[in-house]
Amino acid sequence: MESNTTGVSSALRPLAETTWRFRILVVLLFAVIGWALYAYSVQLSVGLGSTGMNAPAYWGVYIVNFVYLIGLSAGGVIVASLAYVFNLKEYKPIARIAELLAIMCLIMAMIFVTLDVGRPERLVNIVLFGNPWSPLVWDFIVIMIYLAICLVYGYLGTRSDIVAAMKAIPKRARLYRMLALWYTDVSPEARKKDERTLRIIAMAALPMAIALHSVTAWILGLMKAQPGWHTALLAPLFVASAIISGLALVVVATVASRRFLHVQIPDALISRLGRFLVWLIPIDFYFAFAEIITIQYGREPAQFSTLQDVVLGPLAWSFWTEMIVGLLIPFLLIVRAKDRTPRRVGLAALLIFVGVFFKRIDIVIPSLIFRWLPFPPGGYTPTWVELSLMAGVYAFGVLFFVTFAKLFPLVPLEREHEPEAAEEAPHAEALLAEG
Amino acid sequence: MVRWGLVIDLDKCTACQACVVACRVENNVPIGGEEEVRKERAIFWNQFFSEIHGEYPNVRLHMFPRPCMHCEDPPCVPVCPVDATYKDKDGRVLVRYDKCIGCRYCMVACPYGARYFNWFTPEYGEGHGNHLNPDVVRDGEGWIVGPSPRPRGVVEKCTLCVQRIERAKEEGTPLGSEHEGGVVSACAQTCPAFAISFGDLEDPSSDVYRLSKDKRAFRLLEDLGTRPQVYYLSEG
Ligand code: SF4
Ligand code: SF4
Repeated sequence: MESNTTGVSSALRPLAETTWRFRILVVLLFAVIGWALYAYSVQLSVGLGSTGMNAPAYWGVYIVNFVYLIGLSAGGVIVASLAYVFNLKEYKPIARIAELLAIMCLIMAMIFVTLDVGRPERLVNIVLFGNPWSPLVWDFIVIMIYLAICLVYGYLGTRSDIVAAMKAIPKRARLYRMLALWYTDVSPEARKKDERTLRIIAMAALPMAIALHSVTAWILGLMKAQPGWHTALLAPLFVASAIISGLALVVVATVASRRFLHVQIPDALISRLGRFLVWLIPIDFYFAFAEIITIQYGREPAQFSTLQDVVLGPLAWSFWTEMIVGLLIPFLLIVRAKDRTPRRVGLAALLIFVGVFFKRIDIVIPSLIFRWLPFPPGGYTPTWVELSLMAGVYAFGVLFFVTFAKLFPLVPLEREHEPEAAEEAPHAEALLAEG
Repeated sequence: MVRWGLVIDLDKCTACQACVVACRVENNVPIGGEEEVRKERAIFWNQFFSEIHGEYPNVRLHMFPRPCMHCEDPPCVPVCPVDATYKDKDGRVLVRYDKCIGCRYCMVACPYGARYFNWFTPEYGEGHGNHLNPDVVRDGEGWIVGPSPRPRGVVEKCTLCVQRIERAKEEGTPLGSEHEGGVVSACAQTCPAFAISFGDLEDPSSDVYRLSKDKRAFRLLEDLGTRPQVYYLSEG
C-alpha cells in the first residue's frame, strides 16, 4: 500500500498537536464532570428524593435524556449505514463521525439509566434474572447487540487509519497498536476484507438501529396505563425523529469539527446533508399532525386530556419550542438550495438537534402526569442534582468525542489505491436482495 | 386454587380512614413528612380518595379507599425487568424488596397509582418507630415480600397483609370475613363500619364471593381489562 504521504501527514498533524484552547476545554469538561460526581454522591446518599421526581412523575429528565440519546445514536447509524450499504461514496467522510457519535450517545444513554434506578448496585439483576416479557429487557439486549455492532464497525472502519497514525506519530505507536487490537496488516487484501465485513455489518446495523429505537419507543408505547403513549404510531414516530435528530447531530459535529478541529469536509457534502434535513422535517410534522388530528377528532377522554396537557398545559412551551424553533425555523433557514451554506446548515441542524430534546420532554412528562384516579394534580421540576448530573454526562460525551478526535482522523484518510468499491457494488445489491 | 380479594361496600363506608391508618401500622409504611407529602412522595398502600362530581347545586361527593387491586391481569407484572414483582399462586401481586432495582417501570404501568417508591430511607415517627411489625415473609426462593421495613430506592405496595395470611395458613386458623374470628387483612379488621370484606374469591361460600356477584358490585377502571380482585359496592 502506498499512502499519499503529504495528504496523510497534513491530515494527521492536528492529532499530534494540542492548542491551549483545547486544553482549557478539557479542563472545563473535567470540572463539570467533577461537579456531577459530587451531585451523584448526594443522590446516592440521600436517595432519589434529591431529584424532582415524584408520583406521578415517576420518571424525569434522566429518562427523557435516555430516550433522546438512544434516538441520536440510532439516527446517526441509520445515515452512516445507508452510505455504506448503497455505497454512496460522497457520504463516507461522515460515516466515521456518525459512528463515533453513535457509540458516544449509547454510552451516555446507559449512564442515564444507571442514574435513574433506585438501586444501581442491583442492575446486575437484569442479567441474572432478566424477565423476557419486559420491554426494558428487550431494550437491554438490543442495546448490547447494537453497541457491539457499532464497536466492530468503528474498529474496522478506522483500523487502517489507526495504523497510518501509528506510523506517522511514533511516540504514540504503542497506544495505536493497542487501538488497532494488534491487527496492523493494511495490505490491499486485508483492507478489502475489512471493507467487505464492513458492508455486511452496515446492513446489520440498519435494522438494528431501527429496532433499537422502536424497542425504546415500546418501553413507553406498550403501557396502556399511559394514554399519551399508548399508540401504535409511537415507534414509527420515534424512528422518524431519531433519524432527523441523529442526522442533525452528525451535521453539528461535522461543522464544529471543521471549524475547531480543522477536519477536511467539503462544503458540498454539508449542503447535501442539509437537503436531507429539509426532506425529513415535513415527515416529523406529518407524524405530529396525524397524532393530533386522531385524538382531537375522537376526543377519547384520557388521550384528549393528555393531548391538552401537551399543547396547552404547563409544559406546552416545550411542545411549541419543538414545533417552531426545532422544525419550522430550521426548515425556513435551509429550504432554498442556495441558502445551504455550511454555517446555515450547521445552525439549522443545531436547532433541530435541540428541538428534538423538547419533543422528548413533551412525550415523556405530560403523559406520565396523567392519572386515571382523582389524585391531586401532579407536576415535575428537576432539581440541581438532576441538572448537574445531566451537565456532567454531556461533558463526558464531549470529552469522549474530542479524545477520539485527537486519537485518530475523524475523516477517513485519502488514499491513492482506495480498494475499488465500484466493483463490489453488485455484490452489495445481491446481498440486499437476499436479505 | 385460592384467589384472595376484597370487597368494599361504599354504602357502609363512613370515610373515617381507619383502614388507611391500620394499614400503615400493620405494614410498616414509612412517614414521608409534610414537605414530602406536598411533593407527592407520600406512601399509602391504601390511599383514600375524595372526588366531587357535578356542579353546584347538583354535587355529589364520592369517597373511597384504594388498596392495590391485585389485578388478575396485572399490567405491572410483565414489565418488571428483573421479575421482582410477580403474581403469586394465591392471586396476590407481591414485590420482592431485596430484588427490585428501583426502575419504577411497574409504577408507570399501573393505572391505579397503587405502587409507591421509597424516595428516601424510610422514616417512622417516634410512636410508630417503636412499634414496628417484626414479621418477615419470604417467598419460595427466599426473597423478602413481607412487611419488614423496605430499603431506600425500591417499590412497595399493598400485599393484602401477606404476613397475616401466611401465618394463619401455618397455624391452621380460619381465613376470611365469613368466619367468626377469621383472619383478615388489617383494613378489613379495623373498619368500624364493617365495610371491607376479605376472603377467597374462588370459594363460593365466602363473603367476598357472594358480594362480588352482587348487582351493586363494580371494579375500578374495568374498561382497561386488568380485572381487579378488589370489588366495590356502589353507593345507593
Ligand atoms: S393495582 Fe396496580 S399494582 Fe396492583 S396489581 Fe393492579 S396494576 Fe399491579
Ligand atoms: S421498580 Fe422494582 S418491582 Fe418495579 S419494575 Fe422496577 S425492578 Fe420491578
